[in-house]
Amino acid sequence: MDQTFLVNVFGSCDKCFKKRALRPVFKKSQQLSYCSTCAEIMATDGLHENETLASLKSEAETLKGKLEEERAKLHDVELHQVAERVEALGQFVMKTRRTLKGHGNKVLCMDWCKDKRRIVSSSQDGKVIVWDSFTTNKEHAVTMPCTWVMACAYAPSGCAIACGGLDNKCSVYPLTFDKNENMAAKKKSVAMHTNYLSACSFTNSDMQILTASGDGTCALWDVESGQLLQSFHGHGADVLCLDLAPSETGNTFVSGGCDKKAMVWDMRSGQCVQAFETHESDVNSVRYYPSGDAFASGSDDATCRLYDLRADREVAIYSKESIIFGASSVDFSLSGRLLFAGYNDYTINVWDVLKGSRVSILFGHENRVSTLRVSPDGTAFCSGSWDHTLRVWA
Amino acid sequence: MSSSKVAIGSDIGQARRTVEQLRMEAGIDRVKVSKAATDLLQFCMEQAKSDPFLVGIPAATNPFKEKKPCVIL
Repeated sequence: MDQTFLVNVFGSCDKCFKKRALRPVFKKSQQLSYCSTCAEIMATDGLHENETLASLKSEAETLKGKLEEERAKLHDVELHQVAERVEALGQFVMKTRRTLKGHGNKVLCMDWCKDKRRIVSSSQDGKVIVWDSFTTNKEHAVTMPCTWVMACAYAPSGCAIACGGLDNKCSVYPLTFDKNENMAAKKKSVAMHTNYLSACSFTNSDMQILTASGDGTCALWDVESGQLLQSFHGHGADVLCLDLAPSETGNTFVSGGCDKKAMVWDMRSGQCVQAFETHESDVNSVRYYPSGDAFASGSDDATCRLYDLRADREVAIYSKESIIFGASSVDFSLSGRLLFAGYNDYTINVWDVLKGSRVSILFGHENRVSTLRVSPDGTAFCSGSWDHTLRVWA
Repeated sequence: MSSSKVAIGSDIGQARRTVEQLRMEAGIDRVKVSKAATDLLQFCMEQAKSDPFLVGIPAATNPFKEKKPCVIL
């Protein structure tokens, strides 16, 4: 699982000779390695010889064409053709096993705790609730100072949650079982964006949080100090979702936005390493395939797609003529064989990832499905909806 | 006021950054779809036996499924 395309060179900058994280720059067709400061200075210098704004733009167009050509050269077969020899899946019986009621308005986001039992959810009513999904009891509840809490996440330790939305921030609340303590009192503001927070996720520890925002950027923050560690610029519009690569496959994450793009980022350098623009509308949800070599996306164009990172292209589309509403949220089963997708037509479709066919359609929610996650041990998945409820399916 | 120069400067910066980014993306190593797809398949097959949704968990051990009591008719 080598990822040969990661840009993570560290060494002496070719211009200032300081020891920094380096990225490749091209000066008169020669490749050099500059630190991000020198690269920035070079980028905003006056025009170089033989260079005009028009020539740069036409070079960009030529490069885009070359990129498409390179990708097309390797497109020798379709995923579903390779999967013809795989046994078809049998019938699935999946039912709602628990319904979590208590939010006063649309459920916008949810996340599982690593203990495979607790769930945190956030709502338009400004409330964030921690549930025991086995008993459906509410264990914690906090009221945010804003409505539309669009993002929430459970810390890996299970001892804290993060959330945010229209307040443009991501705040961390430690979870305490002391009845005398007010959860809101221990709130720590970590991230500050200049527009709404659309997604957040702890990295593999409680110490760092990755955020995505309506301001078009993603950012990595240190929880303790609130310091910005790295920012990720490149989306041309609101970023709506993000997902971290499974820890074994390195320091990357994927994001999706209103610019119809899905972008893969190197967390250390802040650089975009791959970008995919095949969706025809907003990318609402992105999720890595369990091996880390691919990721799925769900979009307002009513399709879900699978992108393979090593082939650097889209390798499958999950769509049907009868599905005309946007997919808001996607997640894989443990083996990656099944893709669960929640839609704005209130249903959940279950797709055979390899063969490209739909294996099941689940009814139950009475409004849009806005969020969906498979539990950490893969025994169930939870969906949240604009009908104010969450459902656990198994 | 050099505001027009600044604007042009940032347009150039933007265009140059785009060209840099595209050069980098065009230059990465790629694998054939047939190879990539085969690897995705292989991973899936290997993991299938530990995927509860594929293998199924008996109601008795799945905490979300009710254990149905026996009804003696």
